[in-house]
Amino acid sequence: MEKNIYIPDLAKIIRIDSVTANEKIFDIAFIDKEVQKSFNFKPGQFVELTVFGVGEAPFCVASNPRNNDKFQLCVRAVGSVSKALHNLKEGAKVGIRGPFGKGVFPYKEAEQHNVLVVAGGMGLVPLMSFLTYMMDLREQYKNVMIIYGAVNPANILYKNEISYWNSRDDISVCVTVDNPDDKWTGEIGVCTKLIPRVDFKPEDTYTIVCGPPVMYKYVVQELEKKNFKEDKIFLSLERRMECGVGKCNHCHIGEKLVCVDGPVFSLWELRNIKEAI
Amino acid sequence: MLYKVLKKGSYDLFLAKLIADFEFIGPVKKDKATHDFKKISDIRKLDVNYKRTTIAPAKKILYPSTETLLQYEINEDIEMSVDYEAGEKILFGIDACDVNGLNFLDRFFSDEMIDEPYFSKRRKLTVIGLDRMPSDTNFSLSLGKEYAKDGFDLFLTDLNNRYFVRVGSEKGNDILTKYADVSDAGEDDFKDYNKFMDTYRKSFKLKADINNLYDNYELIYNNKDFWNRVAKDCYSCGSCCLVCPTCFCFNVRDDMELNLKKGAKTREWDSCMIPEYGLVAGGHNFRPDKENRLKQRYRCKLKTFIDRFGTYSCVGCGRCIEACLAKINIAEDINAVKKEVSV
Ligand SMILES: Cc1cc2nc3c(=O)[nH]c(=O)nc-3n(C[C@H](O)[C@H](O)[C@H](O)COP(=O)(O)OP(=O)(O)OC[C@H]3O[C@@H](n4cnc5c(N)ncnc54)[C@H](O)[C@@H]3O)c2cc1C
Ligand code: SF4
Ligand code: SF4
Ligand code: FES
Repeated sequence: MEKNIYIPDLAKIIRIDSVTANEKIFDIAFIDKEVQKSFNFKPGQFVELTVFGVGEAPFCVASNPRNNDKFQLCVRAVGSVSKALHNLKEGAKVGIRGPFGKGVFPYKEAEQHNVLVVAGGMGLVPLMSFLTYMMDLREQYKNVMIIYGAVNPANILYKNEISYWNSRDDISVCVTVDNPDDKWTGEIGVCTKLIPRVDFKPEDTYTIVCGPPVMYKYVVQELEKKNFKEDKIFLSLERRMECGVGKCNHCHIGEKLVCVDGPVFSLWELRNIKEAI
Repeated sequence: MLYKVLKKGSYDLFLAKLIADFEFIGPVKKDKATHDFKKISDIRKLDVNYKRTTIAPAKKILYPSTETLLQYEINEDIEMSVDYEAGEKILFGIDACDVNGLNFLDRFFSDEMIDEPYFSKRRKLTVIGLDRMPSDTNFSLSLGKEYAKDGFDLFLTDLNNRYFVRVGSEKGNDILTKYADVSDAGEDDFKDYNKFMDTYRKSFKLKADINNLYDNYELIYNNKDFWNRVAKDCYSCGSCCLVCPTCFCFNVRDDMELNLKKGAKTREWDSCMIPEYGLVAGGHNFRPDKENRLKQRYRCKLKTFIDRFGTYSCVGCGRCIEACLAKINIAEDINAVKKEVSV
């Protein structure tokens, strides 16, 4: 019989890392080794995580898709499920359905092109699967630039990874914060401010954007000023999700469903969808 | 398809036998104005002469308003189990546009991924349709949904002294062979069937001019005045969705028993017309106003599934028109779009 789309597989939290006051990284592995082995996700896909007795919520897989002994989520505590997850201890069991989503980051198409990544806040999380994958196969891509905006220095995620990227000379990384503290020496202001500095050739560049809904409009405006191509700009969208499998309809935008057709869309696909961004 | 004829005199006996042998669901009078699909154990309760539509639609048999998706028990380990209620049932007396409503849900719940809670019941449901004259709010003819080509096991059309029976499945044929005294339909039967269908199609009072809506909708979508007018009186009550035979939106929640050992995931119908529908983290709402919600509902009913399945998801049954206290009328609004664009 076909697998019941509503039944999660059991998984165990094997490591928890508090990265900021509000965000934790969870290393998770399926209890059933066969399930874990066959859990092949693509950069940009998400899972539905159940905290038993509390509820279910979607989270993008944040780890390198090339590792299949476990996977990683980075979760901000905002509501019932995410807070309950934050309260769990290492060893606790959760339910996982997925990976879901046909719309993924263009990790294949972008090969032999420049890659510009624009992340705002929690938007860095879904991008981590793509970024770690790309770093592994760095020679497949041309120039790589990462622009990341956070509210303040304490909110910056993946600090270790960022300093590692900074140490490499084949990637340029710009981190900017809205509210600097005394020690901050980097860029100040919203991440859109840095886009005019990008000197990649538009027709030779894939741009990948992920951040809060308000950010997209401004980022797109800046990219269009530089004549970046709509079919080479990719955005990861978030909508309320109740099922993750195309049945509950909560995640619809126009004719599309974020859970099935997304969560990553090209700007070209979104152009004809009203209210997408 | 096989075509048979059932004599009027054998009809009651046929139904009585089905009622005796199966869980039999059919239209029952609820109060002065409404009928509902209910389990029947006495043929006298069956009342197929309903003038308005049944409330709620028959979809509740396959897709109940609340339904457990999954149970679990938390001990050392976490045990999960499902228990979708699925006995053999007969659904009798559903009309053509409602059969098309079921056809839509069949397609929807099997598109890309199978919805097991729905299909565990669908596989065990025998559908016996029955043609009836359109109610005042029924505009299914305008959408090409007034006739059911498939989706039933048997479909009966009353030709006064006999029933014209379309046999849509082997299961239907088996039931007919076992429980009814039928003969093959001949030329005269087809003639009378055609007469009936012509009269039936001429009886639709409410019409919607849906031509070009697919394109016109994109122009009208940003016309604030238009939507303010159309949605002005909407109470955002969600009744239009609750009565609709093709609405499918749901929420899922987890509940625990007081002992904190046993829990369940339950799904519950939701409505895109209520304000909470588009709410996400941090209080951001993707559809904060009623104008926006109504035009989204219309898009879903009249456009989205043209793209996805090549058909409307609205079957024109008219239930939402009957149910709406604000007198919002989808058929008239389809016409209003045409008018707004044309004049
Ligand atoms: C495809 C996708 C990928 C996601 N990836 C991540 C991720 O990697 N890390 C992460 O921390 N979060 C991610 N989110 C957001 C995360 O799903 C929500 O924060 C989560 O659903 C909130 O659930 P909750 O039960 O904790 O909150 P609830 O108790 O349900 O809600 C608390 C608040 O959050 C709001 N909310 C509910 N759903 C969402 C939503 N989808 N987006 C934003 N707010 C919501 C509610 O309206 C309420 O204001 C993702 C969302 C989607 C759709
Ligand atoms: S259209 Fe009518 S039935 Fe639907 S939400 Fe508005 S008032 Fe309620
Ligand atoms: S939208 Fe209204 S008319 Fe169309 S199928 Fe639903 S209830 Fe019937
Ligand atoms: S989350 Fe249910 S349809 Fe997309």
